Amino acid sequence: MRNVPQSELNNLEALLLNTSGNVPLHNRFRALFTLKALKSDQAVHIISKGFRDPSALLKHELAYCLGQMKNAVALSTLEFVLTNEQEDPMVRHEAAEAMGAISSASSIPILKKYLDDSNRTVRETCEIALAKIEWDNSEEGQRHRSSSSDEPQSYTSVDPAPPTSGLLSGRSKPGTAAQSSVEELRDKLLDRQLPLFERYRAMFALRNIGTPAAVDALAAGFSDDSALFKHEIAFVFGQLLSPHSVPALLQILQDSQESDMVRHEAAEALGGIATPEVLPYLKEYMTREDAPVVVKESCQVALDMYEYENSDQFQYANGLDATQLTEAVSA
Amino acid sequence: MSDDEQHNQTFEQASAGASLTFPMQCSALRKNGHVVIKGRPCKIVDMSTSKTGKHGHAKVHLVAIDIFTGKKLEDICPSTHNMDVPNVSRNEYQLVNIDDGFLNLMTADGVSKDDVKVPEGDLGGQISSGFDDGKDLLVTIISAMGEEQAISFKEAPKGS
Repeated sequence: MRNVPQSELNNLEALLLNTSGNVPLHNRFRALFTLKALKSDQAVHIISKGFRDPSALLKHELAYCLGQMKNAVALSTLEFVLTNEQEDPMVRHEAAEAMGAISSASSIPILKKYLDDSNRTVRETCEIALAKIEWDNSEEGQRHRSSSSDEPQSYTSVDPAPPTSGLLSGRSKPGTAAQSSVEELRDKLLDRQLPLFERYRAMFALRNIGTPAAVDALAAGFSDDSALFKHEIAFVFGQLLSPHSVPALLQILQDSQESDMVRHEAAEALGGIATPEVLPYLKEYMTREDAPVVVKESCQVALDMYEYENSDQFQYANGLDATQLTEAVSA
Repeated sequence: MSDDEQHNQTFEQASAGASLTFPMQCSALRKNGHVVIKGRPCKIVDMSTSKTGKHGHAKVHLVAIDIFTGKKLEDICPSTHNMDVPNVSRNEYQLVNIDDGFLNLMTADGVSKDDVKVPEGDLGGQISSGFDDGKDLLVTIISAMGEEQAISFKEAPKGS
């Protein structure tokens, strides 16, 4: 996987940037996640070329992947995206979050600068990213980093905030989570007096517990007024894969008053959970005239995820087997 | 006391009361371990995990060999799914006779066992000719999911 020939990289670039003009969006996503898995500087450079695309959905996912790759080479691109105030706030938010994921002290000044951005989602993301970089450098953060590599993690993502202290292990342990701790975490999650970073920590702790009671506690967060906060809950449901979260996610997807970013994240979580009852909704909202573009596109990507989950395909990130993707184009 | 210990040991070897399989999360399976694929008890010979998409879900590709037939079987499953793992046991018996295609076996405690066939192929031929030559043979029987088969044999240590 390390030494990918240049011809393959060129192929991935052509798929991601859709140079032929006929690569479906969901296959551009598959090419993106293939590049993300490579983690190399070259992959970062290719992904960075995609920010001229008209699709906010694609661009926000580019920024997300750059953060997850934890490669500081991406920082200049991410700074460029965050400072471009003409850019869609969803994309700028993701750039700020990616800086938090990479966790370089050099990002602190720019994140501080956008703490008073005109867009609430961008402001809140900068606040959380700054708190994360600070936490990563704290004693607890350092200890966590040196210990967490030893044990298998259920969730491999670089999260915007670590789980609440004492529940730092990524392994889900439903048996050991007392009802009282779920209730305590629920209270923290929903307490609007607390900093968002602390509420996020409760969110990821509840994810790691993962019981139906924890899912209910997370779903209660959908009544918040922060789109950022709600979209993160939807994302966490996509990781958790609990059919118990499907009714709450379907409600969000169908709510035309809900912000695009939250509906988008709900659609993709449903694609990941991939139980049969979600299929008609994804199909409907992929083509509904009154649905925002980002929701429609998310449903297209989610349907591809749904098909992957329900098939015997091995790789979702199958861009190195490029014939598969080009066949899908002509089909 | 020693009688008791012996009793326990026999009990365990016969795996009486043990279930045929137990569940294990797919991501916890390991190469050279066992798994049930398409209803067959298998040994895992190769295992790979997919690269992940947005939510980090991985699938696991298993290549395994049916422990009785040697046939290769494959499966792809989400890493979070539970797979069945067969309880596989191996026991060594003394060969006392070969009768109408069946091995007449005996445990160290003198309990006889006559329901395992002479294996097909070279192994069966070697056991039969060894027995005909008057050799004292120990045969290893593998059992899983209600099926049993002789998988190897050796000559008993002299003077035992």
